[in-house]
Amino acid sequence: MSAQLKRIEQQFAIEQFYYREARMLDNRQYQQWFALVTESISYVMPSRVNKLVDNRLRGKEEMISIDKELERSDDMGSPIREEGYAHLFVRVDRAYKANSWAENPPARTRRIVGNVEILSVEENTYRVTSNFHLFFARPGSDNFIYSGQRNDRLIVDGDSFKIDAREVIMDYANIDVPTLGLLF
Amino acid sequence: MIKISDLVSDDAAYISRRAWSDPAVYQLEKHGVFGKAWLFLGHETQIKHPGDFVQAYMCETPIILARGEDNKIYANINSCSHRGLPVCRADHGNTKRFVCPYHNWSYKVDGSLVAIPQEKMVSQKPDKNTLGLKPVPRVESWQGMIFGSFDESIEPLDSYLGDMRFYLDAFFDRFENGIEFAGAPHRWTINANWKLPMENQLGDVNHGPFLHSAVIPAEANQEIFDVGLSAVPHPGHGATFRLMPEGTPNENMAWGMEGMGAILGGSEVKEYLFEIQAKAKERVGDIRARMKGLTYGVYPNLSFLWSNTSFKVSHPRGPGKVEYWSWSAIPADAPDSVKKILRTNYSSFFGPGGILEQEDSEAWMQQFIGSNIDFADDKPYYYGLGMGDEKPHPELPGMVSSTANEYYARAFFKRWREALESVSDQDANRIALAEVR
Repeated sequence: MSAQLKRIEQQFAIEQFYYREARMLDNRQYQQWFALVTESISYVMPSRVNKLVDNRLRGKEEMISIDKELERSDDMGSPIREEGYAHLFVRVDRAYKANSWAENPPARTRRIVGNVEILSVEENTYRVTSNFHLFFARPGSDNFIYSGQRNDRLIVDGDSFKIDAREVIMDYANIDVPTLGLLF
Repeated sequence: MIKISDLVSDDAAYISRRAWSDPAVYQLEKHGVFGKAWLFLGHETQIKHPGDFVQAYMCETPIILARGEDNKIYANINSCSHRGLPVCRADHGNTKRFVCPYHNWSYKVDGSLVAIPQEKMVSQKPDKNTLGLKPVPRVESWQGMIFGSFDESIEPLDSYLGDMRFYLDAFFDRFENGIEFAGAPHRWTINANWKLPMENQLGDVNHGPFLHSAVIPAEANQEIFDVGLSAVPHPGHGATFRLMPEGTPNENMAWGMEGMGAILGGSEVKEYLFEIQAKAKERVGDIRARMKGLTYGVYPNLSFLWSNTSFKVSHPRGPGKVEYWSWSAIPADAPDSVKKILRTNYSSFFGPGGILEQEDSEAWMQQFIGSNIDFADDKPYYYGLGMGDEKPHPELPGMVSSTANEYYARAFFKRWREALESVSDQDANRIALAEVR
């Protein structure tokens, strides 16, 4: 198989995985979704701040780089979420209780995952970036749009994948959505 | 037509829906509550070096909190003296000057005006000494916590906090080198009235077993039932905690052990927390070493969530909207590896992505819906639970009772009613509110 064909095949497999994942999440099949993550998963959402522009960087792309706006897991700021398997388990478990009031009645969601780009492949590990728009209709409240980017580390699992790391970079000026505690 | 005396009954057992939703009441709150209180601005560790600044709010007024070149702390209103634009756009940073984008008037971090670029083209020279940013008239700190007040004649911060310091010190004094705030605050908006997030932390522990029952285990609620206390050291302030029996093992007593971070974080963080607890008796005394805090409130809108170690401010944005700010507080001298774990004690459960916070936000938002309806003004909210159960305590300051007693809220609303009544006729006329008085 030519390298070109192999790349197309990889791209196809990853995209199909993301579509399947999105369908499970929108269908509220979180227990099935939970089977798509490894037990060592790192699930992180950096926070986003408005930094002072450094005059010495005038004229350079670095001056307004997105990295500067993020408080990530590996620095000493305050990321919005830093979770592992146990945290995600609690979230999934909670979704199927009648007294999880923020989801009673449950929100209606529809997400589009796009701009899927494989950044690197090393043996069975893929680094992939993708974008999403998520429509979120909360009964008793309002409709909201979530927009963000996901930086994933995926591990080959038979003829599918497992999510071993996900960093969700949300796009917001002010957080005016009901919660950032969803599964993105 | 609303009278202030109709908003809160004399015994505060009934609170009107209008107290939560009426735009005219909110205008009175701005002057009577926020204009006359000490309001939390930030922590000294956020502005360690000359030129460091962070943004803050006093009600809806934007504030720059900064450390000047003289190493002193300054708080100024973030609005240019020329045309009113905010001169500081960043959440935090270090700078020599704030420059207004419109005509480049520029200010030192202490608020003084240093340059008017147009000056050289005109013959009249403005007096720059009178044209600095408007300073917050009173700024004081206690335990590193910086507060500001618009009321020049307000009592000193120390006496304003009063015996609330006893309860706050049970936390602060545990740490030899104090605490610090991790990173920038999380800020998010909730369609709710600002008083409900405040009331929630001031003493409303009793919603936990119900609103949060999908996540909080029954044993945790049983512990609150068995040894939980609600203390009101002064009306408007409140502290809730569990007073653990002597001999309670560290696992179940030490500060920090309740969060997901510590539970999942391995031996390093556990040993660190146990070491703090081992010194607690010597540092804060026997009774406070046995305090396992829940939630605290400082009038009017600062709260502290001990169990997940977060400070929060409920900033109003109108009667039906809150901009909620929260910070994770961690011991300043902890190793970085421990700090990273402890900050997740907060973020796992609270903040804009927190598992518990989403339920709270939902309840607060729904309460505003109920408060903003018509044809139900004859059914004010019932606040009478536990009326009269509060008593002085031999070892704890203030009035003390079980956590189901709503005395904390009655005390808050009596103070709040007095604050609204204190708005002078002159002020009320100025804000065109004569009709609600």
